[in-house]
Amino acid sequence: MPTDADADALVEVRDLTTMLSGKAVFDGLSLDIPRGKVTAIMGPSGTGKTTLLKHITGQMRPDRGTLRVDGQNVPTLGREALYALRERIGYLFQNSALLTDYDVFENVAFPLRQHARLPEVLLRNIVLTKLQAVGLRGAARLMPSELSGGMARRVALARAIVFDPMLILYDEPFVGLDPIALNQVLKLIRTLNRTLGITSILVAHEFAAVRQVADGVHLIANGRLVASGTPEQLARGESDWTRQFFGGEADGPVPFQYPAGDYAEALGFTGAAA
Amino acid sequence: MSADMKTKAPRGGMLVDGLAQIGACGLFLLALLGAIPRSLRHLREISRQVWFVGAMSLVIIMISGLFVGMVLALQLYYTLSIFGGTAALGTVVALSLYRELGPVITALLFAGRAGTAMTAEIGLMRATDQLAAMEMMAVDPIAFVATPRFLAGVIAMPLLANVFSMLGLLGAHLVGVTWLGVDNGTFWSNMTSNVDVWKDIVNGTWKALAFGVVVSLIAVFQGYTAPPTSEGVAYATTRTVVFASIVILALDFVMTAFLM
Repeated sequence: MPTDADADALVEVRDLTTMLSGKAVFDGLSLDIPRGKVTAIMGPSGTGKTTLLKHITGQMRPDRGTLRVDGQNVPTLGREALYALRERIGYLFQNSALLTDYDVFENVAFPLRQHARLPEVLLRNIVLTKLQAVGLRGAARLMPSELSGGMARRVALARAIVFDPMLILYDEPFVGLDPIALNQVLKLIRTLNRTLGITSILVAHEFAAVRQVADGVHLIANGRLVASGTPEQLARGESDWTRQFFGGEADGPVPFQYPAGDYAEALGFTGAAA
Repeated sequence: MSADMKTKAPRGGMLVDGLAQIGACGLFLLALLGAIPRSLRHLREISRQVWFVGAMSLVIIMISGLFVGMVLALQLYYTLSIFGGTAALGTVVALSLYRELGPVITALLFAGRAGTAMTAEIGLMRATDQLAAMEMMAVDPIAFVATPRFLAGVIAMPLLANVFSMLGLLGAHLVGVTWLGVDNGTFWSNMTSNVDVWKDIVNGTWKALAFGVVVSLIAVFQGYTAPPTSEGVAYATTRTVVFASIVILALDFVMTAFLM
């Protein structure tokens, strides 16, 4: 289990408890995200992986617990401090979330125009550098509607790194990508982490892809951290959780049946059973 | 107010839900007003929105104004001729347009043309995570998206209402003077001597400004709080037209009673 003494953690989550619609999404969740590494957050659908990213960025606040990013307790930050923190965090949305009124260039330039008063020549050079890094400098004047899913994801990535963030959050970056686009995104994640040392948190289901880029994996289920280690350690399936999740078993700690009342009673056979 | 703002009306029937919506809309107005200083940093975005909701609405406003003025002249000429008062045609048309029809019809058209566009655009921006993306880029969507559209509506409405009334006068002149033979000098001189700039034209402009505030507020609020689904955006767009129309007509009565 993580400890407070872990100085290498960029993100420290302690006893995080969040209730949504009367259901505990997190029930005392504690975990660390090491600085400079790629960490994957995995778990069954609906277990709160994206919700955890929203807590890290302050879009949602927990009912209890602390969540420190670079030493700052996010749930207690005011608006100005939160926005200052977000300027140091890149977020890649599952659907890319490009601004549809602006072309590719202006999408990538958007954070710079909002937060930095740069000469146009310098701004242009920064944007083109980021677009070159994701291989889309030639697409600078295309509109988002003219991009494929993989291209849109890469533009969103260029936008996320335009301020050279300390942390990038990837929300399901591999969903809906063909093998070529998938490998391009994998290569970009690896390059950004290894050349710039950006800490990365990856929410994904594709274990084969995660194995190629992640240094560590946290498996969360039922609102808690149930397993943690390198992808290889978890792939061995030494616990019921890892066996079911990485083995793709239909039933196990995560039940096949959504919790429900008595089946016979629901079918009206109560009297017959008695 | 965060981009995640939702209207969480308690489940207490239509009355309680309605009151909760009004309360949420009031809080949203405060958030819009509070964001104006930050929004003024985005002058380019405000002018883009003024172009979109104002200039792009000009054609429908001008055509409607022209025809309303023509119909008004025809109807009033018929009525006034019964009493031998066709010389007052210009005055009556101008008073009707500047005091009442200009602001009201422009506001109704504005709600249908620009209000719905604002609602649908903001609703779709939420549905496609664009508002959340702005939040993540440390850009306040209230200041960058909502307030510029609100201000653009408030700026554009009085201008559009006056354009409507002017085109209405032109239409009335075409029908009254050119077609029905009312004397040109009488038409204009009676009008200029009986229509007061402050009492009639400025009061009408105040009305248009008030309608601009409520229509823009309703449109932006409905878009910002629309459920992020196609059905949610469609429903929000409909509500913009329905709520705005009712509020325009009710507010018109109240303002007329106070401004008379």
